[in-house]
Amino acid sequence: MALTGIQIFKLSPKKNCKECGSPTCMAFCMKVAQGAVDISACPHFSPEAMAQLSEATAPPMKTIKFGAGENEYALGGETVLYRHEKTFVNKTRYAAAICSCMDDAAIDAKIAAAKAVDYERIGERMYTEALYVNCAEGTDAAKYADIVAKAAAAERPLILNVKCAEAAKAALAVCKDAKPILNGATAANAAEMSAIATEAGVVLGVSGTSVDELYDTVAALEAAGNKNLVIDVTMDTIKATYEAAVEVRRAALKNNDRTFGYPSIVNVAKLADGDAALEQALAATFTMKYGSIVVLSEMDYAMALPLFGLRQNLFTDPQKPMKVAPGIYPLNGADENSVCLTTVDFALTYFLVSGELERSGVPCNLIIQDAGGLSVLTSWAAGKLSSTSVSDFMKAEVEPKIANRKLIIPGKVAVLKGDIEAKLPGWEVIVAPQEAVQLVKFLKDMQANGQL
Amino acid sequence: MPFNRKPQKFSASIREVEIGTGEKAIKLGGANVFPFYAFDGSIGNAPKVGVEISDMGLEGEPEGVKAYYAGCTTMGEIAKKAAEMEGADFVALRLDGGDPNGVNKSVEELIAVVKEVAEAIDAPLVIEGCKNAEKDGELLTKCAEALQGKNVLLMSAKEENYKAVGAAAGLAYNQKVGAESAVDINLAKQLNVVTTQLGVKAEAIVMNVGTATVGYGYDYVISTMDRIRAAALTQDDKMLQMPIITPVASETWGVKESTADEADAPEGWGCVEKRGISMEVQTAAADLVSGSDAVILKHPASVAAIAKMIKALV
Amino acid sequence: MGKFITIGERISVTAPSINRAFQERNAEPILTRAKQQIDAGAVYIDVNIGPAENDGEELMKWAVELLQGEFDNVPLALDTANKKAIEAGISVYNRSKGKPIVNSADADARIEYVDLAAANDAIVIALCNGAGIAGNNDERMEYLQILLERGLEHGMDDQDLWFDPLFVVVKGMQDKQMQILEFIKMISDMGLNSTGGLSNNSNGAPKTLRPIMDSALVAMCMMQGLTSAIVNPNDLRLMETIKTCDVIKGNTLYADSYLEL
Repeated sequence: MALTGIQIFKLSPKKNCKECGSPTCMAFCMKVAQGAVDISACPHFSPEAMAQLSEATAPPMKTIKFGAGENEYALGGETVLYRHEKTFVNKTRYAAAICSCMDDAAIDAKIAAAKAVDYERIGERMYTEALYVNCAEGTDAAKYADIVAKAAAAERPLILNVKCAEAAKAALAVCKDAKPILNGATAANAAEMSAIATEAGVVLGVSGTSVDELYDTVAALEAAGNKNLVIDVTMDTIKATYEAAVEVRRAALKNNDRTFGYPSIVNVAKLADGDAALEQALAATFTMKYGSIVVLSEMDYAMALPLFGLRQNLFTDPQKPMKVAPGIYPLNGADENSVCLTTVDFALTYFLVSGELERSGVPCNLIIQDAGGLSVLTSWAAGKLSSTSVSDFMKAEVEPKIANRKLIIPGKVAVLKGDIEAKLPGWEVIVAPQEAVQLVKFLKDMQANGQL
Repeated sequence: MPFNRKPQKFSASIREVEIGTGEKAIKLGGANVFPFYAFDGSIGNAPKVGVEISDMGLEGEPEGVKAYYAGCTTMGEIAKKAAEMEGADFVALRLDGGDPNGVNKSVEELIAVVKEVAEAIDAPLVIEGCKNAEKDGELLTKCAEALQGKNVLLMSAKEENYKAVGAAAGLAYNQKVGAESAVDINLAKQLNVVTTQLGVKAEAIVMNVGTATVGYGYDYVISTMDRIRAAALTQDDKMLQMPIITPVASETWGVKESTADEADAPEGWGCVEKRGISMEVQTAAADLVSGSDAVILKHPASVAAIAKMIKALV
Repeated sequence: MGKFITIGERISVTAPSINRAFQERNAEPILTRAKQQIDAGAVYIDVNIGPAENDGEELMKWAVELLQGEFDNVPLALDTANKKAIEAGISVYNRSKGKPIVNSADADARIEYVDLAAANDAIVIALCNGAGIAGNNDERMEYLQILLERGLEHGMDDQDLWFDPLFVVVKGMQDKQMQILEFIKMISDMGLNSTGGLSNNSNGAPKTLRPIMDSALVAMCMMQGLTSAIVNPNDLRLMETIKTCDVIKGNTLYADSYLEL
């Protein structure tokens, strides 16, 4: 985070001695802020001021890593509060919760369910990325370690929610090489837990009963030298948790308060307290509002489909539209004899068009070619959707695989019909309606009239 | 040093717009802080939840919706039941049947439905058009006339028909106008400008700034709402301080995740209705934290969950 | 970034009709000019009551109450060499639409106007000159630093000091214009606010040229980061230029009707 001239000036000696070569301290500080001169050119900056400056120029929010090998995830590192300002950096990760209070069968089922969700959406693997292993109060350390070992076998990074030092040590003994998060520090036990986490080389999670208490605990841990932290902002109520999630992130990014410059954990399973529909709402809420890790009571497809879609949208680069991979997408049980339709690779267009095509129930092959991730008219104007690009793609990719020789093109580029026909001998080119919503009727009519 | 709170409380605020009459009337807007930032200042009126019904009755509705309305035979009965739904603050009637490319019901036929619904309930009423701008221009104008004194919100006045809808709803018959744009922040503002230039009071305008289902280009929805709220509060942009209403159900129940039967869906997807509810709930939750002052849903489970979430956050 | 803040300059003793109206406590001419400026989009209204050595306190109170009472607490810049009159004005000032502006301090005899603003939680226009007019940007920066330090010492928020680079007339000081634009950039780079009597640049130019010169200069200044100016808001070309620059800079959201807002 760059400092402005005035922020540096406030720490400067304000002597206007000119020894640095600038006429005033103000002018000097401005040059420092612009990177034109190095601050060491001033012989009078105090060591305290220099320390403050280096602290102030550090990133506002640390990037914290947990997990190991292929399962290592980066959390935090964000620089803005809103996605339109700049791309968000590290996406929210989801953990399914298990608890030492469950019996073995229930735990096995939870782990199996978590692993069952695993699919791809627009080039991104979507799966339950972590397991959250809660140590219920009074659980014997050895028993907790057994459960942790079982969870570790699922090859997902773990978040160990354990406030008891003995259980924490036992759990880390079986899984510390996989770099779990020890979500164990509270105002009461911070020093002890910090020592355990540091010795095991793992990230320490900090909990508290209020934003203020969290702040004080983090400050104390930092003062003691531990800056490998995440902040569990889960409070007693949904409202207090929302406040904490926002306050922590905003303090770091907007107000340069680096004490809160850490990723956060939100346990929506706990907040929803068994209300599955409410948990859906909260999972979305805390994905939007600053959860780095969101803990769910269960990950199934009903939870995953909207949640991963939301996350994918939220973390996409606002300057770069999402693209789907070029290729042939058979819909409604289409085969090589089904009609072909083509459109651009802009994800929004693809979803809109494929949604309408699916609704029509007519078997068809949706042909997606590389159009730079732009909409139909934009890519046409940019020369990326042209009669040449369409015919080249059809010849190279489609003709060898599809026997049908009817191609429906977007209504907005009806002008391409003649040229495509000229360049694609043997194909009949048909112009679709202007809007995707009209496709259902269009295709059904064609089907009814025997035109397919 | 203890934590130093720096609340973002603004001197600007979202306008309050009232819909409905009598005890059940609701107010949208009023916040001078970002969505649900109650710790910064006043969030004004809690966001409201509407239940959507259609003039097409229960045709094609998910099983859980059909089950909820079981026994209802008339639109009046359906409307009454919708108004009674747990968590419901208002009823939204979509006039799907008016679409010239669809069933193409006549304006007179639809006005009869509108009157029947309005008479059956004392909850605030929102009328959604048939999505065809030309037909809506006539249809919503007639609705405004037919529902005089009910203080209803008429959606939607678009770029193509705001003059007709705005003049009838906002001027002649003293209703509320829903200005609709499709995820286009400049157009959202422009519609508010030209609608107020017609003479419609700013306090009579609610915005529908466009929506999508999560996963389906929803990034644009987030940024549109984030930027509108920021302009309204930080730049005191008076032409973006109208409350936002977002129809959710009509979007989310159309996508593959909500429609593919378990038998046709990819392995593991499970019960279609459960998926439909979760698409609706998660989209609505994301809308609300982005700045919607009201969401329109349809499944009883979704309405209950979102109402509960709002209650927990305000 | 916030919108560009215009300070309407037309209520001033330099206009004979306004001077007379102040003397006679005649509200009508003052209200008429204020309304014209507000309707044209002025954010702040400058109230220049002149030296007002004898009745300044009473006069400023009268003017503040008159204007704020008539125009929904319109924010004001209090402009006089009589310090007590400014304090008196602030004592009756309503802040609901914005802090009062003290117009103005410099790094010399009028440095105490900074103290006055600090003591009253007001904004101050800080002229970057001292005993003499600054000859170059190093000198301007020195004056700026003196003013800034003074403000910070007295507990002011740095955003409440609006630095005035002192616009100078093109006809006669043409060679200084780019220097001033560069200085605005320096102020902006430090994250500080700036303002000034922009129309000084076109003094002595034919009437038909002045709006053109003022508009061109304001656009160049806004590019450099100028955050406010003391202007004639009834100059339509100037106001349209400011609104357009605000759109281009992203300070206001574009809509086809943006000029009408």
